[in-house]
Amino acid sequence: MAVTLASVVRPFPYLLLPTWWASRNRARRREKGDLVRGLLFGGIAVVVIGALFAGSFWVTWQAAGYDELGDYLVRIGLSWLFLTFLSFLAFSAVVASLSTFFLSDDLRLILVAPVAARRVFFARFARTLAQSGWMVVVFLAPVLAGIGFAKCAPWTFVLTVIATIVPFVVIPVALGSAVTLLLVNVFPARRARDILMFMGLVFATSIVLLLRFLQPERLMRVESMPEVTSFFATLQSPITPLLPSFWAGEALFAGVQGGSDWMHIGALWTTAAAMVVMVGAAFERWHFTGFSKSQEARKARFAQFHALDVFARILPLSPVRRHLLVKDMKVFLRDVSQWSQLLLLVALMLVYLYNFSVLDLDRLPYMSGVVKNLYAFLNLAMAAFVMSTVAVRFVFPAVSAEGAAFWIIRSAPISLRDFLWSKFWTGLVPVLLLTEVLIVAGNELLGVDPFLKRLSAVAIVFMAFALVGLATGLGARYPRFAADNPSQVAGSYGGVAFMIVAVLFILVMIGLLGWPSSVYLFSQVRRRPLTDFQQVMFYACFATAAALSIATWLLGMRTGVRALEAMDRTPA
Amino acid sequence: MIVVENLVKRFGKFTAVDGVSINVEPGQIHGFLGPNGAGKTTSIRMIAGLLKPDHGRILVNGHDLAREPEAAKAALGFIPDRPFIYDKLTAGEFLRFHGGLYGMDGGDTEARITEMLEIFELGRWQHELVESFSHGMKQRLVMCAAFLHRPKAVLVDEPMVGLDPRGARLIKDIFRLMASRGVAILMSTHTLEVAQEMCDLISIILKGQIIAHGSVADVRNMAGTPNEELTPVFLKLTGGGALQEIDEIV
Repeated sequence: MAVTLASVVRPFPYLLLPTWWASRNRARRREKGDLVRGLLFGGIAVVVIGALFAGSFWVTWQAAGYDELGDYLVRIGLSWLFLTFLSFLAFSAVVASLSTFFLSDDLRLILVAPVAARRVFFARFARTLAQSGWMVVVFLAPVLAGIGFAKCAPWTFVLTVIATIVPFVVIPVALGSAVTLLLVNVFPARRARDILMFMGLVFATSIVLLLRFLQPERLMRVESMPEVTSFFATLQSPITPLLPSFWAGEALFAGVQGGSDWMHIGALWTTAAAMVVMVGAAFERWHFTGFSKSQEARKARFAQFHALDVFARILPLSPVRRHLLVKDMKVFLRDVSQWSQLLLLVALMLVYLYNFSVLDLDRLPYMSGVVKNLYAFLNLAMAAFVMSTVAVRFVFPAVSAEGAAFWIIRSAPISLRDFLWSKFWTGLVPVLLLTEVLIVAGNELLGVDPFLKRLSAVAIVFMAFALVGLATGLGARYPRFAADNPSQVAGSYGGVAFMIVAVLFILVMIGLLGWPSSVYLFSQVRRRPLTDFQQVMFYACFATAAALSIATWLLGMRTGVRALEAMDRTPA
Repeated sequence: MIVVENLVKRFGKFTAVDGVSINVEPGQIHGFLGPNGAGKTTSIRMIAGLLKPDHGRILVNGHDLAREPEAAKAALGFIPDRPFIYDKLTAGEFLRFHGGLYGMDGGDTEARITEMLEIFELGRWQHELVESFSHGMKQRLVMCAAFLHRPKAVLVDEPMVGLDPRGARLIKDIFRLMASRGVAILMSTHTLEVAQEMCDLISIILKGQIIAHGSVADVRNMAGTPNEELTPVFLKLTGGGALQEIDEIV
């Protein structure tokens, strides 16, 4: 049974078998919390897909009332939607192909085997396609279904959708893979990944800011209906008809009306085929050179952060806590994939605050006072939700982030209580600052009642202690030391459990703070003093809210410390 | 069977491998020795086809790795120092996939997988997920995979790391058996006792260059210490003076 070269030729899908077998084995051997996680994420997915379907159905239905203008809007809307996806897919493919073609661990196994470079390309391209394209397909399917139903499209529309989406996804993914090939042949792969992560977040941040500053809400005003066409017209450019997004939009528009646009479907397929052939040839020629470069560990250039050492020395901390703090900060700041996500968060915060600054509540002259104060609570709830998502992404994985190096902590003369409290304080300060800024600035821009300003500012401090304590504690209770990155930890059973508890906590807190505040504000408006019962309830609610926060904080931390102390295995 | 001619690899300005030449004949076990960072793993990875050399030529079973990579790799088995195995596959599934990469198919594949698992004492773990394996078991599984397709040459990077004495004994016996059947084995190792016990020839690499080559006796003579064990010979050739300093500090 000697191996001959002729016997080695197997079609490229063979190389995808381990992924399939691994998924099958994973499905057979369920882990703790899989069902809860599946139900939660499945439920969210169903709601999102339903909302997308309903939204696109409603918009198309409304547009149909404007005859030719409506058709024009659907057509141009499709083109614009596909243009957005085109750029998203291309960028997503650049990031995904960096991993699938160059950094993935199993490449070391595949590349030592006698597998032709072309078959490696096809197998890896299929993986890149699946990784980059699944979200777009999941998003587009309900949107296009909504349009199809609203326009009473014939069943052949389904075929048009398939014939359009497949080549449409292939084109930008091929382009993105080609860009990665070029980048990796110029930069070392790991440096290229950092550059890409950073560029990606700048890209996402710019999109968020751009979309917000276009002020799409002005389209909702009745008096500005003529602006709609000019708004969309500004999004067109002379090169648009040359882009696959335009071809896809045209093909689908013809399909939804029962016709067929073979020219644009043909353009999509031929372009996709040509791209795959050309990019495949390029990979055959330059992939090994790029892969070889990606194996080279050059001397890392990195920031020393001496200022951090100096700053830590000023803080009134024990040497152990100081060193833990400095270590955590340096590890965080040197990992581009970590801190760069904060950029997106800051952009979202800016948009959030900008929304308050342009909120035109004076259009409701009799209600503006009530609505403003209602918004103050909405602001508090939103800030708390932001806090819980930041906590689950950055604080919850803090213990797991020690990874295989956790033995250092366990074997050092440090109490696990000290270790966990150090993680708590490191997480608390930035989270508290962030949300306090959101609350104070938001309420200032809204011009809410001074009582509510003070209440929100104090309440968020209590909530920050509670949520950061809970995240730190549950992160220690359900660690994932083997996870590749903190996002995986955040999406684990413990992360989901934290989010559920955090949301319940926020809702209870808003209830406890909202009811007495509204009673107080109404008494102010009506110029009537609070009754004795109301006064008792007023203080009781605030005291309960404070007690609940402190209990959540301390119990969360205690469960974490106990779990660490009871841990019978140290990852290595 | 494995012919390496004037191999050079540079990382920026640093030359990791500088003109290395090795020839491993069929049935020979060739030890590749050197201190940490000397260029052993870089050389092995180039021969395995994972790193592109800047200069030089690699022939496996008469096939040039750069010109006929598939033909060269088909004759080669590779046991890396840090092997990758799919955690969510069972040992049997992993070997089946690995065999398929080398063109193995049909009924005799299953028999060969069972045979190899038995040889490496992993038979009862065939249907268990790799994620539950210890480091030593993973190491033995990778060795199963490397010998599964009956290669004519095998590259081994640090074979004894993480193996218990029984596992180490087993591996030594298997390597000897394979060599007796004509398999050429190029093995990098830190364990000088292993090299002394198993290797027909050894090459000592330092700062990317081969500084000594020949049988264990040849190398002893070269160091001017014909009656010494291999460890002092190795330290003398590779600059073990630092150990003296460490001793003084400690």
